[in-house]
Amino acid sequence: MNEQNHTARTPVDQRILQLLNSSIDGEINVVDQQELDHLLATSQSTRDLNDELREVTRALDELPEIIPPKYLQDTIERQVRLPVENKGAENKPGDFGSWINANWLRTGFAVAAGVLLTVGVYEMGSGPIPAGDSASMSGTIGSNSVNSQKGELLDRINLESELFSGQVELRTHNDLFTLNVELESDGASELVIKFAGRGLEFESADSPQDAADTVSVIDGSIHLANNGEQNYVLNLRRVPGTDYPESLGLEFFANSQLIQQSELRISHSKSK
Amino acid sequence: MSQLVSQYQRPVFNAAYRILGNMDDAADATQTVFLKVFEHIADYDQKHKFFSWVYRIAINESLNQVKKRRTQEPLDDGQASPRQGPAEALDTKRICKRVQAALMLLNNDYRTVVVLKHISGCSYQQIGEILQLPEKTVKSRLYSARQLLKKSLQAEEAEN
Repeated sequence: MNEQNHTARTPVDQRILQLLNSSIDGEINVVDQQELDHLLATSQSTRDLNDELREVTRALDELPEIIPPKYLQDTIERQVRLPVENKGAENKPGDFGSWINANWLRTGFAVAAGVLLTVGVYEMGSGPIPAGDSASMSGTIGSNSVNSQKGELLDRINLESELFSGQVELRTHNDLFTLNVELESDGASELVIKFAGRGLEFESADSPQDAADTVSVIDGSIHLANNGEQNYVLNLRRVPGTDYPESLGLEFFANSQLIQQSELRISHSKSK
Repeated sequence: MSQLVSQYQRPVFNAAYRILGNMDDAADATQTVFLKVFEHIADYDQKHKFFSWVYRIAINESLNQVKKRRTQEPLDDGQASPRQGPAEALDTKRICKRVQAALMLLNNDYRTVVVLKHISGCSYQQIGEILQLPEKTVKSRLYSARQLLKKSLQAEEAEN
């Protein structure tokens, strides 16, 4: 076969560059690949160019993934959860105006997550939000009154892992279901309680601590973002006219990794 | 919320880092990207893929920061694999630094397509969607960028 030499910037070179790059990217069709194979077999300069381009792309592909600073995720989440506080002290958390603004962003988040039907995200420590102020919200979150250990015990789940441990206890009294949650974690962790489609609605959340931790209620799930030791009392109410709920789904995350998935049984001791 | 941030934080941060060339600016850009995502969610057109929309914001925000900053700061690149020995790790670090430095010499248009292709792993079509460019333009920029990188790396090697 005759060897060909190609100098820079000729139309032929552009064609060769196109073929080589398409091949490197794995986006070349059969006919073009055959043309390239022929060029590679007959042209030393094409082979050299191929080697050089592959070396460049390999070097780019081998650039290491950079791990973002540890504080970044927390910072982002706090900024998104507290857009009003970040903007200044004009509005106090819990004010109606503040809540509207914050809730708009939170609703946005839920749509972004592709899931949607926002209930709300509230900062622990804010005063309870009047139900009348919130069309899309079905409960309140506060940090004062805590009513635990009431009602019939239905189920209890324990989590024991190196990074995240705790206990979730479910009790019921009439149509109210109370979750007593005790969590302890070494670092950022999260408990997600799924109640969507289970005949339950969010009623309230309390924590005895003046904690900076947050409770979020999004898309039929309660998210407890935890760091350190924290207790919560969560109340869910049975939706009138629906079947008696059977269970609640729990997901425990540590460092963004799912470490345990569990179901709290409700219906085994109750009739419909 | 955690899931969304967890899912996109790393790719957004890495794209920003490769465009901006340092950790602090990349962290600032990443924070701003997420705030903008939540703030402008009403503008999101569901005809497009969500990740394309997030990446578009990430690229635009990174380029905004490039314009604001003008001067490039020293690079702090090259995270060596823990499996590598000291000599190998040093070599990897040196290569990464050279490649990142060459990347920073490209103009924004070229650097952006290279980052989306090689750091974010996007296809031609996805890059076109993110940058709102025809696929042909994406290819043309990418191929030219690689040629420039090749020359830049060869020149740097010849100097040393």
